[in-house]
Amino acid sequence: MKRLLAALLAVMMVLSLAACGGGNSGGQTSEPPASSGGDPAPAEGSGEKIDISVIAAQYGQKTSDWWANFQKEFNEANQNINLNVEVVSWNDIYTVVNTRISNGAAPDILNIDVFADYQAEGLLLPAEDYVSAETYAKFYPAFLDQSVVDGTVWAVPDLASARALYYNVDILEAAEVEVPTTWAELEAACQKLQAYDSSIYPWGIDMTTDEGQAAFAYYIWNNGGDFTDADGNWTLNSPENVEAIEFAIGLVNSKLTNSDPANETRYTLQDLFGAGQLAMMIGPNSIPTYIAVDKEPEDVINYGTAPIPTNEGKPSVSAGVMDRFMCFDNGHSDEKIEAIKTFFDFFYEDQRYSDWVLMEDFLPATSTGGEIVAAADERMAAWVDIVGSCKFYPTAKAEWANVKQGVINVEQQALMGGNVQELLDELQAEIEAEAAG
Amino acid sequence: MITKTQHVPLKASPQPPLKRSSGGKKLFRKIEPYIWIAPSIILMAVFILIPICSVFQMSLNKVSKTGKIQGFNNFANFTKVLNSSAFGIVLKNTIVWTIAVVVISTVLGFMLALILNNQFRGRKIARAIVVFPWATTLVIQASAWNFIINKDYGTLNTLLLKLGLIQQSVNWTPTPGTYFAWEIACGIFVTIPFVTFCVLSGLQSIDTSYYEAATVDGATYFQKLFKITLPLVKSSLTVSTVLNIIYVFNSFPIIWTMTKGDPANHTDTLVTYLYKLAFYNNKQGEAAAVSVIGFIILLICASTYMIYTLRKGDDDL
Repeated sequence: MKRLLAALLAVMMVLSLAACGGGNSGGQTSEPPASSGGDPAPAEGSGEKIDISVIAAQYGQKTSDWWANFQKEFNEANQNINLNVEVVSWNDIYTVVNTRISNGAAPDILNIDVFADYQAEGLLLPAEDYVSAETYAKFYPAFLDQSVVDGTVWAVPDLASARALYYNVDILEAAEVEVPTTWAELEAACQKLQAYDSSIYPWGIDMTTDEGQAAFAYYIWNNGGDFTDADGNWTLNSPENVEAIEFAIGLVNSKLTNSDPANETRYTLQDLFGAGQLAMMIGPNSIPTYIAVDKEPEDVINYGTAPIPTNEGKPSVSAGVMDRFMCFDNGHSDEKIEAIKTFFDFFYEDQRYSDWVLMEDFLPATSTGGEIVAAADERMAAWVDIVGSCKFYPTAKAEWANVKQGVINVEQQALMGGNVQELLDELQAEIEAEAAG
Repeated sequence: MITKTQHVPLKASPQPPLKRSSGGKKLFRKIEPYIWIAPSIILMAVFILIPICSVFQMSLNKVSKTGKIQGFNNFANFTKVLNSSAFGIVLKNTIVWTIAVVVISTVLGFMLALILNNQFRGRKIARAIVVFPWATTLVIQASAWNFIINKDYGTLNTLLLKLGLIQQSVNWTPTPGTYFAWEIACGIFVTIPFVTFCVLSGLQSIDTSYYEAATVDGATYFQKLFKITLPLVKSSLTVSTVLNIIYVFNSFPIIWTMTKGDPANHTDTLVTYLYKLAFYNNKQGEAAAVSVIGFIILLICASTYMIYTLRKGDDDL
């Protein structure tokens, strides 16, 4: 009897395990009909709710709560829609999304930074198909331009951040240094700062795997260079780019920067800046909040912001970073598209949208949101101006992921004594080969 | 006769049902072990075999940036990986990393086990302390090491400055090579406890009479070490070394936390390199190829070592 019981138990275990395994794959395969094939049901007017699945990136500690609240409010306001938002950390979001796509269970709406890979595989819908004309008109045109492939806008911006020069007012004043506006002034200022106190790093550079592409952009854009030309062809090894990177590497070699730019991320630099050990750095609009965490107001360093220094005679360009919403082509019914439009109208409702942007210290991507944010916070007003005119990474191009890693690799090789021209020539050839297929 | 007649009906009447139940029992006996191991087999199939097959499949196919498999591509993933300039550096790093960490931690762990095997006051506390590095998460360990060696706020510089041994902060990681050496040091530190406890368990199973006999025969400490201790803990050492080779070769957190393989792949090992390929460059096919190469190297190393040591062990017997 005992044996029989034991055997039964074992069979139960096996079955439950098999059920677990099957449940997963079953869930994955049955999900697409739920979102795509399942749509005709409401279309027939059966009164069933329309499901909308959203995967959203986790920007900070407040993101999950914000979305949970949003979901509740949205579902209450729209009884015929069942919105389900899943907030995923930046570390996992690409893997999660790719796994869903390869299992045929792409989310309806995705909030992430890049879109070109999904668009290249024909997975996305054009933005104007799923965003109402009223909401669409709110976006800064320059932002929408960043999501154009073949003349069509494929994604809409959800927020942005911009970069500027941050400097420690007290250190600069004590060393009698003016805020630099050109590269020559920057170099002179760094030397003066170093002479004033050798324990303070004059200038911060981050060339790490985390965000080395940002350093690349700061220097090339402020030397009149760019990642691509006007026609969208890669111009990574242009003379302006080579000169710009050589200048940045020169600063490191002259020991005017933090000691290990290949391993010290922007967060390390922000820590050093907040602790008064770094005099100047280029950073995002969120730095004031970052350096004030866990500090009494009087303990926060006295800092100022200014445009990023440029090579003599070149206009100062701020670097912008923008994230997006995109809609996967899951064979949506007309009712579902209407529901998705309702979602975006609800999200970009001016007050709600400015709350979203301010929640994690970002900048708005809509002109109406910009007005509210600028009015709400004087400090943000200047940033709203900057973000309207800054340049963005060419994320609309499918080769961007490799360009990003490639320029970081070039910077790190150059830090170890590599020749910038040769390295950028190699990268250009590699990327051109990839672009050619 | 009586007994016979008594026995026959007794045996005869329950015979048919007995036969049936013994048949059922036999069948049950046959399948019983499979039922018991079925959960583990299913678990292994789901979480080990299927992913391994999927990696092999990806390595042989063109994989789109969103992870879709798009057909056999004539080993292009392997040729691309093998022709890339970074792969040579990464492979060399992996070999240096594995050999340095495994060899040094085995030697040091063995010595530590010998010390801990002696009778002394506070031996239990000492053993508990040895477990600490093992019990702490690798990410925390690596972050702590980074914190120790940092030039600007590192505790090593602070300590040396306070002791007056240095006048200004020293950059402990001026080159990628030195950074890699620190990573190896961290790897050794966290691996020692495992070796120590494997060896210690072997040491405790050695009968003290061997040593007594050897002492009577006038054997020196080193003679006893090499003629008695080492041969008798060899099986423990083999287990710890093989497992260590696999763990260390595949170790990801230390290098990822300390340098992310930077600068320019100079501190990457195969595992961190393939992670970058897969999740930073979106080249999942090439990442799978690196994974397969790593798997093959590991399979060859571990099985060669096992076969060599086990055969040698048999010869000795």
